[in-house]
Amino acid sequence: MSAMTSPTTMSAPTPLAAFWSAFKENRGAVIGMCVVISIVLAGIFAPLLTSYDPLIQYRDVVKVPPIWAEGGSWAHPLGTDPLGRDMWARLVYGSRLSIFIGAAVMIVSTGVGIIVGLLAAYRGGWVDVLTLRVMDLIMAIPDILLSIMVIAVIGPNLTNTIIAIMVVYLPRYVRLMRNTALVELKKDYVTAAKVSGVLPMRLMLSTVLPNCLAPLIVQAALGLSDAILAAAALGFLGLGAQPPTPEWGSMLADAKDLIQSNPWVMAMPGLAILILVLAINLMGDGIRDALDPRLRRS
Amino acid sequence: MLRLLLNRIALTIPTFVALMFVTFVMLRLVPGDPVEARRGERGLSPEMHAKALHDLGLDQPVSAQFGNYVWGILHGNFGTSIVSKTPVTQEFFTLFPATVELTLCATLFAILVGIPAGVYAAVRRGKFFDQALMITALTGYSMPIFWWGLILILLMSNTLHLTPVSGRVDLIKYYYPQTTGFLLIDSILNGPKGAFLDVVRHLILPSIVLGTVPLGAFARMTRSAMLEVLDEDYIRTAKAKGLSAFRTINLHALRNALIPVVTSIGLQMGSLLAGAFLTETIFSWPGVGHWMVQSIGRRDYPVLQGGIMLVALVVMLLNVVLDMTSGLINPRLRHEK
Repeated sequence: MSAMTSPTTMSAPTPLAAFWSAFKENRGAVIGMCVVISIVLAGIFAPLLTSYDPLIQYRDVVKVPPIWAEGGSWAHPLGTDPLGRDMWARLVYGSRLSIFIGAAVMIVSTGVGIIVGLLAAYRGGWVDVLTLRVMDLIMAIPDILLSIMVIAVIGPNLTNTIIAIMVVYLPRYVRLMRNTALVELKKDYVTAAKVSGVLPMRLMLSTVLPNCLAPLIVQAALGLSDAILAAAALGFLGLGAQPPTPEWGSMLADAKDLIQSNPWVMAMPGLAILILVLAINLMGDGIRDALDPRLRRS
Repeated sequence: MLRLLLNRIALTIPTFVALMFVTFVMLRLVPGDPVEARRGERGLSPEMHAKALHDLGLDQPVSAQFGNYVWGILHGNFGTSIVSKTPVTQEFFTLFPATVELTLCATLFAILVGIPAGVYAAVRRGKFFDQALMITALTGYSMPIFWWGLILILLMSNTLHLTPVSGRVDLIKYYYPQTTGFLLIDSILNGPKGAFLDVVRHLILPSIVLGTVPLGAFARMTRSAMLEVLDEDYIRTAKAKGLSAFRTINLHALRNALIPVVTSIGLQMGSLLAGAFLTETIFSWPGVGHWMVQSIGRRDYPVLQGGIMLVALVVMLLNVVLDMTSGLINPRLRHEK
């Protein structure tokens, strides 16, 4: 709005512009971002990228090798699996699932983390103690063990994968939100807002929260890759998305017995996971460095 | 020191109690009762069903059941496997050495490769080697290890025939009694000629696979800790007084840079111990992770419940030990309060 009315005046860069100028310095991060965006676009426009259905079994073209291997054909550029399903179609449609799982875990745990963390920081007392104890308990159980435990109770499927991983990663967001909010609550501007009579709800959400966002965004970006890896691992153990869903982890589990005869069927889903996770981590590192250099994790 | 130890143990107790509660509730939430889960295809008469429930103590009120469960755990009784009918603790301690051996080897691999790589990258900051190494480390850190394991099997075992595909030792060629459960030790004590080498060959791939993610983490962490230390005044002093680059880096810089790294080694070991699930599944490694994944498939819930309790207990104890050792290497922590 203000940019429309006074285009010529020099002003401080908006936070977004400042972030972008720091982010684009990091070549790896930009490459990572491009890869992530292309994978997201591939997932969205999957029907345009392939004419095959990822679930239909073309029984007369079973185990076709990829195009660069002997016997490959352009009809199936990445070959077909032992049931005659097109690998390229399964990979492209599979990206939807991985990204959806990652994003869902990220959004829900950030959201819940913000609410619970803010509440614990603001109320203090027993609310705070109880929250911290519960989070400690969750963190005392090793990640994959806990998600397996949750899956064992609620049963293996795609939605439950998301729930299980969310439970595991929630403490990170809650604790981060609580600790950052506690630091902010002690600052003068919060006292000023309180004195001027701002109600608690508004104080937390529009005064404190925006100042706590930087570390949360970083955590969310890096947590995205962890969530995708965890979902793939659960899929691989047979506890995530169930066949015939083209989820990369469960595709890998299906293909692991073909390691001798058809290694490419096994190799490709894993490569897809690696590329996506690596790209997100590169991007996450860049976001962290750009938003808050103090947060350099390692 | 003793105070710190007692303090840490006291902090663990409430978590442990809560964990008992959670695992207990978990088993009650699983749809269907345990008797139904194993009745087989022929079904069960209502009387038999009631008798089985009674034998398992499942006809008592829930509060009494929880009491029994806690009482059992406090006496070292973590339940009995439905499938094999052996106590969970017995199975756990038979399999646990395999997991520990694998975890230690994986950690050793990650330390031996990761820390020197991180140091070298920090010294050559911004150069080609540094950048290449950091990309490699991030790749290792991002690795889906279940895929990495299969790729290594494909390359090393199926194509080059360098290493075996699965298991801990070739029992047909080398059979010998297992006294400690740690095959590296047993094969030296009791094994025939060649058994030790065979055990080592079996360990190579699983250790690399399990060690890859921590390797990436250690390399990145060592590098950034070194970069921070290398800017300190005392390093400049060391250089100025004419110490060789080797001494400056390895004696003065590395020792101080290692403090955060050692802490993270401990943390990583805890999650490795538990995270061996995937590696053990790929390599049919007869360890705790493999056992628990199988127990899910068999709906052997007491194993899952007891296994979770035992693994979590080990990880908690490991964390206490870790806090103590970080007190040992970092005097500042020891003298707090």
